[in-house]
Amino acid sequence: MSFARFAVRRVAEMAATLLAASFVVFGAMYTAPGNPASFLLAGRSASPEALASINAQYHLDDPFLTRYFHWLGDVLQGDFGRSITYRTDVSRLLADRLPVTLLLITMALVVVVAVGLLLGRTAAVRGGATDSAILVTTTFAVGTPSFVAAVLLQGLFAVQLGWFPSSGAGEGFADMLWHLALPAVALALYLIGMLARVTRSAMLEALDSEHVTVARSRGVPERQVIRRHVFRNSLGTVLTTGGLIVSTLLVCTILVETAFSIGGIGQLLELSTTTKDFPTVQAISLIIVALFMIVNLLVDLLLPLVDPRVTLGTRGAAT
Amino acid sequence: MTTSPPRTARRPHRPHRPHLRRSAVLTSAVLTSLALLAACSGPPKGDAGEVTDVHLSASTPPARGEIDSFSWAVYAEPPTLDYTVAFDYPQNTILSNVCESLMRWTPALTTEPGLAQKASNPDPTTWVYDLRPGVRFHDGKEMTADDVVFSLGRQMDPDNAAAWAQVFQNVSAVTKSGPLQVTVKLKKPDSQFPQYMATAAGAVASQAGVEAAGKDYGTTGGLACTGPFELGTWNKGQSVELNRFDGYWGAKAKSKKAVFRVLTDPSARTNAMLSGEVDGGYLIPTESYARLRGSGSGTLYFGEGLSTVNVNVTNMEGPLGDVRVRRALSLALDRTGFVKAGLGGAGTVTNSLTTRAAWAAAPENTLKTALDGLPPTGQDIDKAKALVQEAGATGKTLTMATSSIGQDVSLLATAVQAAGTQIGLDIRLKTIAPNAFTALFTDPRAREGIDMFPLTYYDSITDPLDLLANFKTGAYMNFAGYSDPQYDQLVDQATAVYPVQQRMEIEAKLQHHACEQLLWIPVAEWPTALFQGKRITGAPTTISYMYHPWAADVGAAQ
Repeated sequence: MSFARFAVRRVAEMAATLLAASFVVFGAMYTAPGNPASFLLAGRSASPEALASINAQYHLDDPFLTRYFHWLGDVLQGDFGRSITYRTDVSRLLADRLPVTLLLITMALVVVVAVGLLLGRTAAVRGGATDSAILVTTTFAVGTPSFVAAVLLQGLFAVQLGWFPSSGAGEGFADMLWHLALPAVALALYLIGMLARVTRSAMLEALDSEHVTVARSRGVPERQVIRRHVFRNSLGTVLTTGGLIVSTLLVCTILVETAFSIGGIGQLLELSTTTKDFPTVQAISLIIVALFMIVNLLVDLLLPLVDPRVTLGTRGAAT
Repeated sequence: MTTSPPRTARRPHRPHRPHLRRSAVLTSAVLTSLALLAACSGPPKGDAGEVTDVHLSASTPPARGEIDSFSWAVYAEPPTLDYTVAFDYPQNTILSNVCESLMRWTPALTTEPGLAQKASNPDPTTWVYDLRPGVRFHDGKEMTADDVVFSLGRQMDPDNAAAWAQVFQNVSAVTKSGPLQVTVKLKKPDSQFPQYMATAAGAVASQAGVEAAGKDYGTTGGLACTGPFELGTWNKGQSVELNRFDGYWGAKAKSKKAVFRVLTDPSARTNAMLSGEVDGGYLIPTESYARLRGSGSGTLYFGEGLSTVNVNVTNMEGPLGDVRVRRALSLALDRTGFVKAGLGGAGTVTNSLTTRAAWAAAPENTLKTALDGLPPTGQDIDKAKALVQEAGATGKTLTMATSSIGQDVSLLATAVQAAGTQIGLDIRLKTIAPNAFTALFTDPRAREGIDMFPLTYYDSITDPLDLLANFKTGAYMNFAGYSDPQYDQLVDQATAVYPVQQRMEIEAKLQHHACEQLLWIPVAEWPTALFQGKRITGAPTTISYMYHPWAADVGAAQ
């Protein structure tokens, strides 16, 4: 398949998925109890005129489909609308909060990839007691939900030892790194365990393969065998977990941000859902779905590079 | 879970496409995320432990001197600091130091002049406010009658959806009657209106400043008000900084800066206070009372809160429609046990829907009339059982909503369930997600199939009518649709009477009616809790912090 065709198909797929996701989220919000107008009025009774005015301002009285298409039309023009709760443009709301979340997720991702690959590789190559120790550790890591990790880390490193702040995101880059260190580890813990295990089994599989045996019999140094043949061959398998890693990070950042009171996108999503702030929830959901899809696209593009046996666009699609 | 790929025999010279494996991994990726979401839900609970020997403090020790900065925990970020929609703890705690009102609430919960030097009432439907001269806004302009007319006008404009609009329901016009005089005309006498002028409903901002900010007023830029602090850096999602306003008309603030940190998680909030990351806060999680008290990193104070914890009856179509069943539940409820566990020991059992402090302005004998002879708070299971039988409700099912938003809610629900079990009522708990719990207040659909839910209610003014008016026919919080023409008439009467003594006598009648009918079941009075770290002192202990520039009094403890 040519790259152009592949690109066009993937973009169309993404657009369709985003559209479906936006419709599902909008519908779910629409059917859940609670009316944004009443949250706006903070549980006070309002005059019929005031209610009518809010309903008109935010199109709350329009039928479901009308509202949805109204919203869609605005988004296609690059307008995510105005947050009902925050009374400000959604784009500004997101611009204020996105950097923290992206930094947190990036930090967690770096930790996951560095530590996860290292542990998996060490376990596969060394074997024996090292392997068992790593297996036990990763079992523990995989069994620890991120919010439990958050509480444990907070209690030990922030409250008991006082090495790290217990909450907040800090100001300025260095301060932010320091503030986000514990949350990033809490977010990464489960995924480190998972990635280490995937790496380990993929490498063990590669170690068993014929060409490794051939390479060894030809006298290729063991380090080169591991790097060129084993590690590289297992990278494809490792890459395929990219989607899982990113989706987990996106989902659990909601809980970790809440536990550490980091006012990022995750916490904003939780709060906006509470108050039925349609425009904000829609925008964040779309961002999350889009990020997930972009990562999968990147994985698809990278896969043929690391694993020559895979060709472009053969991932689960009818070819 | 681990996703170990299936072992397939591979031949290096014959490439095949492992796409099946990919989609398997992808599917499990999505499933895992969902499983994770289920696994990582629900915040962990803090440590239990109640405090004993709780006494209410009238105040904290006054500050000894100035301080550069202090930080304060709030449990949520204000969506906006526009005074017209400031109707919740976090925003009012901050805003009260930036925007001032015509009248002012004091730490003793009385009302005194604020931006108005004088409020006069020449006839029952007219209120005249004479403004303080020489008051400057944060944008440098001087306050005039035009600014007041404009500020109150924003509350009344239907397009603004002001949370305080209801306060102005009886207002027919707000006009400038002099350069520093504003006259409010009422459609009918309204005793609550002048009291509300001490809350954010009576806040005054600069017309020029608000108009310049346009639709972003309250979210970006300054607030153009007159308070001892002005809005500084607002680090969205993290913190709100206030800077001392040197052009303030009154006593200068003792701290150059006040930083409000948003700490949504209860244990994160407690930890920040223990470690000194924040200097203090209001609304301490009840499960942290004991920990903070014994910590040595500061002092935990309690003060008058105007807050009561109640069982809100939302459905009178079912068994609770019979007052005997409501009485039985009230008689079977272990209030003492609830205060110990649910309020961390800080609270007093009550048989009154209104707090004692709300009657502060009432003469001694009126107070006695209002609070004496109400249904008892002690348990009487036998009597309760008999009442249920008499009403023919034995074995009937009732549903109580509960949620994990705090022990005041979850433990009250279990206490009601236990009470029901003892007297032959089958009470089912319906757990509602914390974010859906708020919808109970705002959406009738959310209350379908629910007979009652735990409700903590606080007054915004020191007047019992603030709560008692909720049982008037058609009132917003009258979820059960209670309707009694006699009661409605008394509410209207009380609203129309200005002299406090006379009004409170009528309110005492309302109080007896509501408490005897158990329109809500009163459980406990819940004081305000306040933590101050060792560095600072001077914050008020009472709920006055909602509408009083309290941060100006906070300074160095040494």
